[in-house]
Amino acid sequence: MTIKRRTFLAGSAAAAIASQFPIRLASAQDNVIRFSMPQDFTRVYTFVTAEYSQGQRDYLTLINERGGINGHRFVADVSDHGNDLPRAIEAYERAKSEGAVLVDPLSTPVARALVPRALEDKINMITAFSGRSDAADGSVFPYVLPLSPNYWTQAGLLIDYFRQVDGDLSGKKICFVHIDTPFGKEPLPILEKLAESQGFELLAFPYTPPGNDQSAIWPQVRRARPDWIMFWGAGVGQTVALTEAIRNGLPMDRLSSSVWLSESDMEVVGAAQAAGVMKVEPCVSGREPRLIQDILAEVVGAGKGAGPEDKVGTSYYNYGVMLASLMVEGVRVAFEKAPDGPVTGEWLNAGLRAITGFDAEGLIPPTTITPEDHQGGGQARIGRWDGEKFVAETDWFSANQDVVWEEIRKYSAEFKETGQ
Amino acid sequence: MDMLLIAELSINGVFVGLMYALVAAGIVLIYKTSGIANLAQGALAMMGGYAAWAFATLAGLPIWLWLPAALVAMFFAGALLERLALRRMVGQPIIMVIMLTLGIEIMLRGILPGFFGSSVKRLDIGIPTTPLFVGELFLNRATLIGGAVSLATILLAILFFNSRLGIIMRAVSDDQTASWSVGIKVERAIALAWGLSAVMATIAGVLWGATQGVDWSLSLLLIKALAIAILGGLDSLPGVVIAGIIVGLAESLATGIVDPIVGGGTRDVVASVIIVLTLILRPHGLFGREHIERV
Repeated sequence: MTIKRRTFLAGSAAAAIASQFPIRLASAQDNVIRFSMPQDFTRVYTFVTAEYSQGQRDYLTLINERGGINGHRFVADVSDHGNDLPRAIEAYERAKSEGAVLVDPLSTPVARALVPRALEDKINMITAFSGRSDAADGSVFPYVLPLSPNYWTQAGLLIDYFRQVDGDLSGKKICFVHIDTPFGKEPLPILEKLAESQGFELLAFPYTPPGNDQSAIWPQVRRARPDWIMFWGAGVGQTVALTEAIRNGLPMDRLSSSVWLSESDMEVVGAAQAAGVMKVEPCVSGREPRLIQDILAEVVGAGKGAGPEDKVGTSYYNYGVMLASLMVEGVRVAFEKAPDGPVTGEWLNAGLRAITGFDAEGLIPPTTITPEDHQGGGQARIGRWDGEKFVAETDWFSANQDVVWEEIRKYSAEFKETGQ
Repeated sequence: MDMLLIAELSINGVFVGLMYALVAAGIVLIYKTSGIANLAQGALAMMGGYAAWAFATLAGLPIWLWLPAALVAMFFAGALLERLALRRMVGQPIIMVIMLTLGIEIMLRGILPGFFGSSVKRLDIGIPTTPLFVGELFLNRATLIGGAVSLATILLAILFFNSRLGIIMRAVSDDQTASWSVGIKVERAIALAWGLSAVMATIAGVLWGATQGVDWSLSLLLIKALAIAILGGLDSLPGVVIAGIIVGLAESLATGIVDPIVGGGTRDVVASVIIVLTLILRPHGLFGREHIERV
């Protein structure tokens, strides 16, 4: 078979037109703001993604049902990248071609890999509780937005809480049991600095990922006779850590973790046995917050919920609502600044970086995002498991931000210089 | 050096090693009968854990019902796997059969969490979580009971291989053609081995599920099980007991002694080093039969 020149040219023209189709399709959909949410539903982040995504989608449905923002409705493109970089990059490129102005991958390796693309394409990448901690420095990472306390801040908050309870940490012993991955080791520099400045002894116990057998770790922790214990992992690593702590007879009211502890974990461990354990709460958990009540009434009640009703109000569900509400607030502020758009990544970026004192009707601490601070002030509170639910042990507070920002600036300067 | 800590780690390591050995025993069981190294044994343990959780939680059965139900269901699942997938591979190169078991491992690891939900599931077999101290020595009840049950199960398997049915399976392992010629139903013997192996995997899945919860990570037991099966000898059930104790001890002591020195988790490195060293220095393992090819 031979191809005539005319056929070849016609075919090429058709292909060229077809390749433009998704972009034209996206721009043809008037009054739609597209958020891309390729997340890990099947591999590493399985412990959180389903509930987090459900919370996000339910909140966006709530806003859409109320008419959207400024007549614009939200489209959440949810897909599974399985924590796999090629799949995540493919999803990102698809989102870009479809006109997405924001992407939320909820995965540290994926977020790290996408940083250069997001910066170049000017697409806002949300990296809540994941990604680079130094992305809090908005002057270096203008399009990477954690919008939440990073791991350095979380470690700083816990240490400050210990100080508040004990009065002084001098001479105390703090054990840090962590998964032996970059994520698990991330708080170490902050903890080492605080140990030096506050005079406590820091003992680190790394365990092999994913942490399904920690039986040789916790006897060592027990024998160290610590004053406080922090355990730092995710998924099965957290439930095993907590179970082993109980089996070793360690006091639950001296045991604490990051944001990665949920009601589901407590069910696995045994809700009553885990009573007393603490976590960092970036938002209120449970169904009491006004927004969760609204979702129950207007979304779930109307049969439009994105998942099981019993998951509404869990910690990770509320994290999803928290982040979705911040994204939508960014859109609202963007409309305030430029009512006629056009709706682009740059346009949304201006809104996200001008969120001021937003508390999502009491769900989150008053959050202010600035072009310099993408963390939002680094506020959270300490929640304690009472056997049935997490209850607030403190009010919203931030702590040790001087040490945290020293670290943020150190690494962001390194990125600025080397691109790494 | 804190000798009490070393003693705790050693005792704990022995019992954890025995729990690993139960998964390895399933690999040995299939290898002894059909000459195949089953790389899906970790996924079968995970499947057993999910089956037990489903009968316990979704069906709401009491433990005296859900445990036998899970064991019976998994026996048939194992036998069915052999009938539908493995038997079709008769006559194919052995590497293709091993690749098939690897494919089954990957498939089960994807399908089961997708079907049951990917969060960790609670599996309660009634082991108290209150600490157990003998003098100043701490003993982990979960690993103590898990190790004891594992050892008992492996001993039962050794006894089984000395029964009439076991001797038939050993004959099949030695020479399938000769077994056929004397009227042994070779396919049935191999299917039985797969069924029993799935039962052992289920017991392991339940014990580990009670220790860590049920989720995809149960399938990671394969790596430890392989290290133990290779060290003990792929065709030696007593070998897996000894190898299990060695691997468990080595891992536990490495965590207590080497980790603080190198500042990292070395637990999994131990299993990898054991696999590599055994294959280089003694390919048939400590107690395995050395195969001599006559040319």
